[in-house]
Amino acid sequence: MKILRKFYIIILTISITVFTSCELEGGESLNGASTTSISDDLSRGELPQAISGVLSDMRGRLNTQIDVLSIFGREYYYFTSSDPRFEGDVVTGNLDNNTFYTTGPWGSRYAAVKDINLTLIGLENTTSDFSVEEISATRGVLNTLKAHELLVVANNQFANGIRTDVADPDNLGPFVTYTEALNTINDLLVSAAIDLAAGGSSFPFALSSGYAGFDSPDGFLQFNKGLNARVEAYRGNYANVLTLLNGSFLDLSGDMNTGVYHTFSLSGADLANPLFIALNQEANVRVSHSSFVEDALTDDTRVNKVVLRDSPREASGLVGTYDVWIYQSNVDNIPIMRNEELILLYAEANIVINPGEAEAGINVVRNIAGLGDYDGLTTSDALEDEILFQRRYSLFGEGHRWIDVRRFDRISELPNDRAGDTVPESVPVPANENQ
Amino acid sequence: MNYTLSLKLFLFTFIFIPLLTFGQNVTGKIMDGASNQPLPGANVVIKGTSTGANTDFDGNFSINIDNFPATLVISSIGFETVEVVLTEAREVNVSLKESATGLDEVVISGFASTVKRTNAANSVASVSAEGLAGTTPPQTLDGALAGKFTGALITSNSGAPGGGLSVRLRGITSINGNSQPLYIIDGVYIDNSSISSGGLNTVSAAAGGGSPSSQDNATNRIADINPDDIENIEILKGASASAIYGSRGAAGVIIITTKKGKRGKTRLNFSQSVGYNQVINLQGQRNWTEELAESEFGEGALYAAAAANGTLRDYEKEVFGEKGFISNTNLSMSGGSEKTTFYAGLSRNQEDGIVKRTGYDKTSLRLNVDHKFTDNVKLSLTTNYINSSADRGFFNNDNSGTTIGVALTATRPWDFLLPDANGNYPDHPNNSSNPLQTRDLMTNNETTKRFITGGALDINLYRGENSDLKFVAKAGADHYTLTGTVIFPKELQFMRPDQGGLNGVSAISNTTNTNSNYSAFLVHNYKTQNDLNFTTQAGVTNEQFSQNVVRVIASDLIASETNTDQAANQTINQFRLEQEDFGFYVQEMVNYQDKLIGTVGIRGDKSTNNGDINEVFYYPKASLAANLHNFGFWGDNSTINRFKPRIAYGEAGTFAAFGSLYTIYGSSSIDGNVGISVPVIRGNADITPERQGELEMGIDAGFLNDRVSLELTYYKKTVENLLLQANIEPSAGFGREWVNAGTLENRGVEIGINVSAFESEDFQWDSGISWFKNTSEMTELNVPTFNLGGFGNSLGQFQIEEGKSVTQIVGTTGPGTPVSVLGDAEPDFQMMFTNKFVYKNFALSFLWHWKKGGDNINLTKLLSDFGGTSADFDGFDVDPEGLIRNGDYRINNGLFAGNARPFVEDASYLRLREIGLYYNIPSTSLDQWFKGAVSNVKVGFSGNNLINIFDYNSYDPEVSNFGGSGLSTGVEVTPFPSSKRYMFHLSAQF
Repeated sequence: MKILRKFYIIILTISITVFTSCELEGGESLNGASTTSISDDLSRGELPQAISGVLSDMRGRLNTQIDVLSIFGREYYYFTSSDPRFEGDVVTGNLDNNTFYTTGPWGSRYAAVKDINLTLIGLENTTSDFSVEEISATRGVLNTLKAHELLVVANNQFANGIRTDVADPDNLGPFVTYTEALNTINDLLVSAAIDLAAGGSSFPFALSSGYAGFDSPDGFLQFNKGLNARVEAYRGNYANVLTLLNGSFLDLSGDMNTGVYHTFSLSGADLANPLFIALNQEANVRVSHSSFVEDALTDDTRVNKVVLRDSPREASGLVGTYDVWIYQSNVDNIPIMRNEELILLYAEANIVINPGEAEAGINVVRNIAGLGDYDGLTTSDALEDEILFQRRYSLFGEGHRWIDVRRFDRISELPNDRAGDTVPESVPVPANENQ
Repeated sequence: MNYTLSLKLFLFTFIFIPLLTFGQNVTGKIMDGASNQPLPGANVVIKGTSTGANTDFDGNFSINIDNFPATLVISSIGFETVEVVLTEAREVNVSLKESATGLDEVVISGFASTVKRTNAANSVASVSAEGLAGTTPPQTLDGALAGKFTGALITSNSGAPGGGLSVRLRGITSINGNSQPLYIIDGVYIDNSSISSGGLNTVSAAAGGGSPSSQDNATNRIADINPDDIENIEILKGASASAIYGSRGAAGVIIITTKKGKRGKTRLNFSQSVGYNQVINLQGQRNWTEELAESEFGEGALYAAAAANGTLRDYEKEVFGEKGFISNTNLSMSGGSEKTTFYAGLSRNQEDGIVKRTGYDKTSLRLNVDHKFTDNVKLSLTTNYINSSADRGFFNNDNSGTTIGVALTATRPWDFLLPDANGNYPDHPNNSSNPLQTRDLMTNNETTKRFITGGALDINLYRGENSDLKFVAKAGADHYTLTGTVIFPKELQFMRPDQGGLNGVSAISNTTNTNSNYSAFLVHNYKTQNDLNFTTQAGVTNEQFSQNVVRVIASDLIASETNTDQAANQTINQFRLEQEDFGFYVQEMVNYQDKLIGTVGIRGDKSTNNGDINEVFYYPKASLAANLHNFGFWGDNSTINRFKPRIAYGEAGTFAAFGSLYTIYGSSSIDGNVGISVPVIRGNADITPERQGELEMGIDAGFLNDRVSLELTYYKKTVENLLLQANIEPSAGFGREWVNAGTLENRGVEIGINVSAFESEDFQWDSGISWFKNTSEMTELNVPTFNLGGFGNSLGQFQIEEGKSVTQIVGTTGPGTPVSVLGDAEPDFQMMFTNKFVYKNFALSFLWHWKKGGDNINLTKLLSDFGGTSADFDGFDVDPEGLIRNGDYRINNGLFAGNARPFVEDASYLRLREIGLYYNIPSTSLDQWFKGAVSNVKVGFSGNNLINIFDYNSYDPEVSNFGGSGLSTGVEVTPFPSSKRYMFHLSAQF
């Protein structure tokens, strides 16, 4: 009977425990902070993390972005034993609207824009003790970076257009043309400049070391103006370019490499420089297009951006003899904007307005590269040719050439090495946009 | 009298008083009619009650009977059931006849009840110990199920030791939710996760390309379970049967019962198998000549020099050509007293892979104890400790040219890759990694220490003339720690800084997983005068799941150290899961004289994974079976001796994946500052479980006294509110979002015929043939058509599209063409053919498995075309016009022309899955040799996959680069090839 009594008690205990425990508790996300924790009320402690998130995400798929543009611009080829589409689709111009080279850069840029938008909303809703200047400065930085990210996708998709109003995922804005996108980007930069000017003397957060010298509202404003000058050059508003360059970090006698950079490291969740490949590799290589060395002027030191390989690398009828050697380690910085580009923008803007200044700008770049002064014609056409040539060598592998030849309607001048290869004018809009 | 007191009195009356009455003891002996040996483990049950006993090793049983007359139902799996009517207590001696049909076993019908197979309204598949491992020992449990029952598509993801399988029951049941069945062993919910080890993707960068998957094919953890311990497996293929498991049942449920001890003298069973495995199918080499080497690579001179030196080497054979040694040792002990029985098993499986330094090693220790406190109170405990270790090498897709498979595609026979006397490997001349060096130096090990324990308490609360009441409580826990160790030493070609390497990577991934579950049920049986039986059950269940994965990946290692702190850089990531489900279940089964058997039931479920954690989701079920042969329409001598139409409907669900309610930031870092980054997947706070409704109907029939039996089933399952990670416009900042959107449907037919073809004193032949097919359709999709699984339209990928097959494969077929359907992963049909011949002491059994149709996306050949090494490069059979060489066609007219057609291939196969030939040494000889110390000695040979016939242009059509999850099976990128096994066996009883 004792045993039975025990079981009677056990049954009762089990029944009671089970029936009383049927209200569930818990249901937590566990693995990270909810996005609403930022957008609902941004705190002083969260702001630096939100900014670092933006800076970090601006590097997402940067390799794909730069590789695709550099292949389009016939600056270099990227051969990889694991994905033949870099020597296939991207070179033949037969682009898929639903694979990584289309969707990767697009998605990554808009992810950074999302980071920015969430932070901007959080900044509006904040109950922390941010000063008016701090909020203004932060908004200025965020909108400048947002303009940069939108500019990248606008340049990729070109005539296909992009969305610029993407704050509400359930109610996205319409696709706008390239021209409209540039207008919006320009407006963003202008409003950001006003915010930065009213932003006091320091930021309530730290930027990465890639912004050294630009990490105060004043300094960052110079980057904003430089970026705006690039946009105005794309729009052909050359008078405005010159005004903007005035407020930028343009320095005709300064270091070509002064500017703003993406930084990389190997520690923790940080990223390594995705464009670094050691010399003389076989499986994965970035090899310059043969025309880069062939077309180079004697003594041009910028040819050192490529290094002769021990043996050529061939892939499906394409051959590379020189390894691209812009980045020499996996923690090298990748430029966002450099003084060298500003000088060439200065030259370009002056072709019509003041051809003498255009030539002066060209000569700054030429002399630094070890070349003598420009001695060609000073007609607009000749100067345009020269500036495009200098941009090709000065900004090699930084994603400019394809955009430049398109701006000047010269895509047909780019070489195609195989029958069937073509240079596309734009990247398709990802299929999932349901445009 | 207050309420409490009356309740106590009530319980006292119903619980204690019946326990005080004891009936008369009936004993007896049950024999195996075929061998005339005692039959242990047979069931003896008093008809119409749940009171019963099992026979001991000597076939003896003993049972208390309260009321006479009583009918004893004597049954045992594999034997025909016998009923004995007793008017008074007497000794019962019965000989059972072997049954070829398995009709007399019982199958699950509720949480705490079973039903005789002849009365079941569902087609519940079951696999016995003999069926599972009797022909040849399987490497893993899930692998052993392939070809053993209808309605399943079981695909091995890779040939790497330690398994990795995808099991789909009756078609695809979920697109982004869980589509793998739930495994329950002795009442314990078993975790079957595949957890990727950190560090592999750091090097392969597979997830850096077009796909978010790390593509490294981790083992799924059901592989830990030792097949030798298993007594029986039941498979609930769809909601009509698995509704009792509610929100966890939609993908089907595989219920496993392990071996139990038997009363009597303690018996010791020993078995040893040894053998080896070998690659099924090598691709071979191109027919190299000096001219070809010169025209392809300008390396004619290198070829000629190597040919002259005799150093041309087949590197595929060098890597995959090993014969892996296999040894399985199994020792089990079983015995016990009247009150307590036990089963103890110790087994050790060692298996080397077909690639050096790969292999699988598992030790499993089991102790099952059953104890009767009284005739009315039974406790059974099961415990299992497993220690397994798998060395899996480095295979599948990459974006860095580092995996062994990808490296082989760039390796030419005259390349010299062998190490010198000091162990220094030369750099690969055409690739970033030397596959021999990678094989010899890198480590990819998964080690599990796992403890599974369960307990069940059965109490007969009340037993009367026409009714009885039973209480069943179960509790179980499955706990394991999994350690993934990945080491890429700095000597590796692709690790050296001068090659842009990370100077050594060492990663450790620790997973702690604990599942626990509790349930309590009351089961009431009631019998009316005219044999109308009512079985009522009601109860509650609670399941808790907890998982914590911490991965530490270190790079730039100090010297040859591998501790993660002995390095310049560390990356850590952690994933946690905590989930609790609560459910209740009520069921009523009515059996009218074994003529009509009807069941209705309902399950209610809630979970912390739902938007509203206390919202209850209900899953009903109902079924009816009619044993027409019991109505007496046919005479006893009719050809048709059994005919049962049956119909069943049930609903089951799949909970949303953990975390799908939330949109949470990922962590990032730049320049030493921690950052927060938006995730790829947007959560949805309103997500609900997806719901499957399955209607199943069929006919079970027996002819010629069950010499021939037929099972015919048609089913239609509809899955609504599909959980989808739907693409959203990526400009929203997210890639995908969780939504409930869409409905899919699976329809299929399953036919099984078993024939006891010949039966005589010396010779017996049993044969079975089964055929089944499934067709799926996306009947409704509330989000735009989207793609998943695969590498883009120019290489072929899966596409979810309204009105189309769920598993369709689409792609472009030329520059600028729209996507069109190029194939379908769903087989046209599958067929199995089993045979068992017994002649005197010899037994031969084999299993053929034919999968007809079903397509794969095969990219292995394309990668080796790019390396110029495809064995069929110079053939002309890929080009429909036969003009262009295969290798050129796949590159220029395939990939470069945006034509995915060459990559979608028919993955049909016909394979001899299992064959075994055994000889039982006659007991007379044994008695003579060992004086009774040894019995049941059996020797034999067996094999797995010995014959494989397929047209598929790679190692094996059974393959999956993306592992077993969801839809994306059947994509192939330089996998670990599959193998066949040859085994020799010896077993004996002491």
